[in-house]
Amino acid sequence: MAILLDENTKVIVQGITGKQGTFHARSMIDYGTTVVAGVTPGKGGQEHLGVPVYDSMKEAVEATQATASVIFIPARFTYSAALEAIDAGIKLMTVITEGVPVRDTVRIKQRALENGVTMVGPNCPGLITPEASKIGIIPGEICKKGEVGIVSRSGTLTYEIIQNLTINGFGQSTCVGLGGDPIKGIDFNECLKWFEDDPQTKQIVLVGEIGGTGEQDAADLVKAEITKPVYGFIAGQTAPPGKQMGHAGAIVHGKSGTAKEKMRILSEAGITTVRTPSEIPMKMKENM
Amino acid sequence: MPMLYEIEGKQLFKENGIPVPKFRAYDSEESIKTFVEELGSDIMMAKAQSLSGGRGKAGLIKKVSATEAEEYIQSILGRDHRGKPVEIVMLEQPMEIANEIYLSVMLDNTSGKYLVLASSRGGVDIEEVAEKYPDEIYKEYYSAFTEPLPYMFMDMGKKLGFEARTLTSFTFIMTNMFKMAQKRDLTLIEINPLILTPEKKIIAADSKVVIDGNADYRQPDIAALKSQRDRHTDLEFEADQAGISYVQLDGEIGIISGGAGLSMATCDLLDFYGSSPANFLDVGGGADEAKIEKSLEILSRQDIKGIFVNFFAGITRCDDVANGIINASKKFDVKVPMVIRLVGTNDDLGIQILEDNGINAYGKMEPAAKRIVELAKGGN
Repeated sequence: MAILLDENTKVIVQGITGKQGTFHARSMIDYGTTVVAGVTPGKGGQEHLGVPVYDSMKEAVEATQATASVIFIPARFTYSAALEAIDAGIKLMTVITEGVPVRDTVRIKQRALENGVTMVGPNCPGLITPEASKIGIIPGEICKKGEVGIVSRSGTLTYEIIQNLTINGFGQSTCVGLGGDPIKGIDFNECLKWFEDDPQTKQIVLVGEIGGTGEQDAADLVKAEITKPVYGFIAGQTAPPGKQMGHAGAIVHGKSGTAKEKMRILSEAGITTVRTPSEIPMKMKENM
Repeated sequence: MPMLYEIEGKQLFKENGIPVPKFRAYDSEESIKTFVEELGSDIMMAKAQSLSGGRGKAGLIKKVSATEAEEYIQSILGRDHRGKPVEIVMLEQPMEIANEIYLSVMLDNTSGKYLVLASSRGGVDIEEVAEKYPDEIYKEYYSAFTEPLPYMFMDMGKKLGFEARTLTSFTFIMTNMFKMAQKRDLTLIEINPLILTPEKKIIAADSKVVIDGNADYRQPDIAALKSQRDRHTDLEFEADQAGISYVQLDGEIGIISGGAGLSMATCDLLDFYGSSPANFLDVGGGADEAKIEKSLEILSRQDIKGIFVNFFAGITRCDDVANGIINASKKFDVKVPMVIRLVGTNDDLGIQILEDNGINAYGKMEPAAKRIVELAKGGN
């Protein structure tokens, strides 16, 4: 089953003819993703990597009935590309682009919420359902089909953790990279709920970082609603405490917390916390 | 999260219709005569500009007379405040206070909406107020697409105790503040205190502004402000200009990595094995040879006992990493031991390039981290 995507999910690549778009669209196709079209304004009618290219998302969706899109578009054009995808009726939109202004992100997020669109990112590696399909840039060869659901705020650190699991015989149901920006589409909690409901997923790994309060919210949810075992890793144990940025954030959400505090909160919620990526499979073996 | 100096924030306030006291910046032995004339008063506030807190306690904010002002400015220019010399002193009109308000607009990470916070208990530590009098902090969320208009802030103004003329001016100030956050890509504007004078004027007596670095390309004047140079050390600034995310720390081993999460985890791992990171360095996604070279150059100028290069390459290519390292090692005299761990896109090519130059790369990060800690501690 897995979550969010499988081999039948039809995907459009926005920015398919660009350098990054080409490289990663090819890797997605090679992995088995059903890439049905690409969109690059002004290049409609061409064929690229064996798929048709359209001028607009509207044309691409009408022609292919795709439900998912992935955005490889420079930051300054991402706002328009994302709104275009939402208007065209896409239901799963993944924004890989790094450096999107926050004001653009919040507006994209608002539109996505209003239209029932699942938005992943921005500044994220995307998602992968091993041996079925991937959207984004997670290297397919390190993944293996299995029972661990992974949700992470990081990119390369996620690869590290996936590989450690795979080498030790723990395959994955779906791995989701939420993205590293302070404001993003979906967060830990949406994914935790989907993993809880997904019969293929038997255990969950949560990879967090210093800053923000997503991990604290996840701890509350795990305590209240998640019955599957959850493992937690927080990067940034040695990061210097950030400079005080005014008080508004702290008033609304409490202190965003150091990595140590986050680890403590996760532990208290019954999550098995680890200090290095290779400890995750070790603890899983202990708990078997 | 990049902050502005108080004086830069106030300049933005002035340009965007938020009343501020009269002020002027001094960074040299310039005469204050014209400002005293403009002020029409003999008493003024002198405030050193710094991104670190605790200016008051450090004696960097003082009420001075016109005769004392120049001497005081000279005495604090160049003085160290939390690792940075004071380079700008602001002279400011002192304000009479009838009432102090707390006011802020922020982009709230959790909701993805604009959030306006206000309290009639301004001028003090607002986090304490939030704890003791939670009912006296007013919160209002606004959609990301909001076009702010004065009527939207009428209720809040009344709760804060404004009435008649001050109520309308509050709603206009609030509208201007909200618009400014949108127009200038600001993620936080905080005014504490917003002052009501005995003459019933509303004035922003302080400013705390956080900008969005991702929007630098469309806010070039803000990106070029002095505070944005000053928030970095020289090496950090140089790295920033090269598109490298680098933070100087005070540990033993320098790191080069890709991706914020993995770079942090790399630092953590050094600590885990009994050493400490000398820096955080994330070359970003898709770094080319030149960036890797630049990274090693920056580390070569730090006082460190070892270098740990750790890549799990997705967009980045391991052959680029390897070539960058080899080129840099030839150009810059790297005297400390170096351990390299390379996995991911084109790792076979990268490992080959390193081997051709007599370097064995590691495939796993924990043994590699352990090894560099041993070497840095003088082992072999």
